[in-house]
Amino acid sequence: MPAPQRKHRRGGFSHRCFPTPQTAMTPQPAGPPDGGWGWVVAAAAFAINGLSYGLLRSLGLAFPDLAEHFDRSAQDTAWISALALAVQQAASPVGSALSTRWGARPVVMVGGVLASLGFVFSAFALSLLHLYLGLGLLAGSGWALVFAPALGTLSRYFSRRRVLAVGLALTGNGVFSLLLAPALQLLLDTFGWRGALLLLGAITLHLTPCGALLLPLALPGDPPAPPRSPLATLGLGLFTRRAFSIFALGTALVGGGYFVPYVHLAPHALDRGLGGYGAALVVAVAAMGDAGARLVCGCLADQGWVPLPRLLAVFGALTGLGLWVVGLVPVVGGEESWGGPLLAAAVAYGLSAGSYAPLVFGVLPGLVGIGGVVQATGLVMMLMSLGGLLGPPLSGFLRDETGDFTASFLVSGSLILSGSFIYIGLPRALPSCGPASPPATPPPERGELLPAPQAVLLSPGGPGSTLDTTC
Amino acid sequence: MRALPGLLGARAPTPRLLLLVWCLVAAARPSSADGSAPEHSSMPIEKNITLERPSDVNLTCQFTTSGDLNAVNVTWKKVGEQLENNYLVSATGSTLYTQYRFTIINSKQMGSYSCFFREEKERRGTFNFKVPELHGKNKPLISYVGDSTVLTCKCQNCFPLNWTWYRSNGSVKVPVGVQMNKYVINGTYANETKLKITQLLEEDGGSYWCHALFQLGESEEHIELVVLSYLVPLKPFLAIVAEVVLVVATILLCEKYTQKKKKHSDEGKEFEQIEQLKSDDSNGIENNVPRHRKNESLGQ
Repeated sequence: MPAPQRKHRRGGFSHRCFPTPQTAMTPQPAGPPDGGWGWVVAAAAFAINGLSYGLLRSLGLAFPDLAEHFDRSAQDTAWISALALAVQQAASPVGSALSTRWGARPVVMVGGVLASLGFVFSAFALSLLHLYLGLGLLAGSGWALVFAPALGTLSRYFSRRRVLAVGLALTGNGVFSLLLAPALQLLLDTFGWRGALLLLGAITLHLTPCGALLLPLALPGDPPAPPRSPLATLGLGLFTRRAFSIFALGTALVGGGYFVPYVHLAPHALDRGLGGYGAALVVAVAAMGDAGARLVCGCLADQGWVPLPRLLAVFGALTGLGLWVVGLVPVVGGEESWGGPLLAAAVAYGLSAGSYAPLVFGVLPGLVGIGGVVQATGLVMMLMSLGGLLGPPLSGFLRDETGDFTASFLVSGSLILSGSFIYIGLPRALPSCGPASPPATPPPERGELLPAPQAVLLSPGGPGSTLDTTC
Repeated sequence: MRALPGLLGARAPTPRLLLLVWCLVAAARPSSADGSAPEHSSMPIEKNITLERPSDVNLTCQFTTSGDLNAVNVTWKKVGEQLENNYLVSATGSTLYTQYRFTIINSKQMGSYSCFFREEKERRGTFNFKVPELHGKNKPLISYVGDSTVLTCKCQNCFPLNWTWYRSNGSVKVPVGVQMNKYVINGTYANETKLKITQLLEEDGGSYWCHALFQLGESEEHIELVVLSYLVPLKPFLAIVAEVVLVVATILLCEKYTQKKKKHSDEGKEFEQIEQLKSDDSNGIENNVPRHRKNESLGQ
């Protein structure tokens, strides 16, 4: 009888015969590719990070020209970048909500156009207000639409090497600001600030092709259809998850102290007696330590020797301690000295802060599942922005009250330490499977943190967090 | 940056400032027997003094040597001419002091004053009196047609009597008059001046000079203004935008192309499978029975 033979022959595709061609032809989505097109996405995220944060950092070069032209003080022009940063971070959930609804690709492409328009608009500014609107509001909103979706998409493309990929993307910040600073100075010298802003608009437009590279990826565990209601796309439902709420609280606290060195490390070095070049050296070594640590931590964290939440708590604590040391370093002698103790403290701080950064994003899929990463990224950005808005002014206030930055750095370090302490409450082992959660939230991805046997080995040793359930 | 000799007549000498300036000149020790003198090379010693108002001045030089102080010839000169009177010479131990007192009233008395100590070699110390220098921008100021711009000149700790602005076409300097709606000259503080030019045209570009008038002379500074038209940055802008559009189009087209390829290869496979099934079907004796069996096999 030919039937068994037929069975055999048709065993592989018998289910395709009768169902409709579309669903018949669609294969089951595979897991994260962990490479391949993922590296292209990493490169795109690298450029996106650089063209948003990196560009914002070097924008300060144009401010003296702007202050002179509009006859305003340096403080007034500094509000431009403060506003852009605030809008970019606070509006991040909007970006992730839109990309949850329509996919990351169109959102990032539109964000690039928006940011570019902001620069073009500000090139024709007739007052500082126009610059606040163009650079602060428009460009900031454009950048809000690009960062979280790009990073979220990147996280979806990797599992075993996720922290490395994220760390790689986050170094775009430093690299681009290093390259853009002299380029921007050249533009200012050749075209004046108006021409420079116009051409920066063209450069910013490169966010759009980067967005075009963010191909959507279908993963197991994705909801079958994107949520429709605005609130659902925002992902506020993620806060009902205990792990994410703990993480959110910890991150908000860390955010209060994390951005203080960005603003106050150089003035602190100057206060401690270093000359201009000495202070610049301190900032430079901190930045280099930060950039290097992002990559190294990415490499090491993905090995899986230590669970990511634990690494997060450790490096967060180290960052806080680093800030304490930076604040407590004794007065350095004279303008000529190269400031040994402060340099060492700055390097220590830079290494810890650089290791902390990719972990913040790398730990998200373990907390909310791969399907909710984009929304979670947006919410995390917003939380850090709260701290970023309050932290530096508080630090400045303390400086004015006490006369030096010791109190500021102590308080910032304490905020980071308390946030890291809260991180200890995060689940250490694999996230719980099959939670009693609404059907919209996808089940967490399996096995991206650790293979199970290793988790069993490590958890008895850790300071017992029995808050979570394991499978 | 240049201090020019002024044309002011002498004012009644009301010295408001007594200036005491020291100059230290160290000499080599002449050797003993063999005649070749191991000379320390002493660079000519100079001191720059900034002065803007009439003042009493007291210049002092001291000279240390191991030789005979009486053999040293001491003179004061201003720009080559020997000054006859008003200087004292005294000695203490191995050091010779000389003092020159005078009053600077107008710009003719500004310049370089030198004290000379002649032994075997002549040693000199020089005092340079100058009016305050002006600071402007080292880089050209870039602006655009239709825009307005502000040219600033300032000096540290100085109070000029008057500020003026000039334009230069080639070597001719033309004063900038205060035309309504075009040029506005003002300064918030006494030590700075600002020239605001509105409704810029391309012809407004060029060299501008700010002049500060002091009682003891003048100072001026050069600022370069460049006026560009909007086409200048517009061309690179459009070029970059075109490149971006090209890259995006390439990415999207490449993706569509690879998708079509996939679809074709998938359709090809589908076609093959259907062909095979059809051939299976035709192999069967009856249509219904094999299908039944297929259904059963499907049900597993």
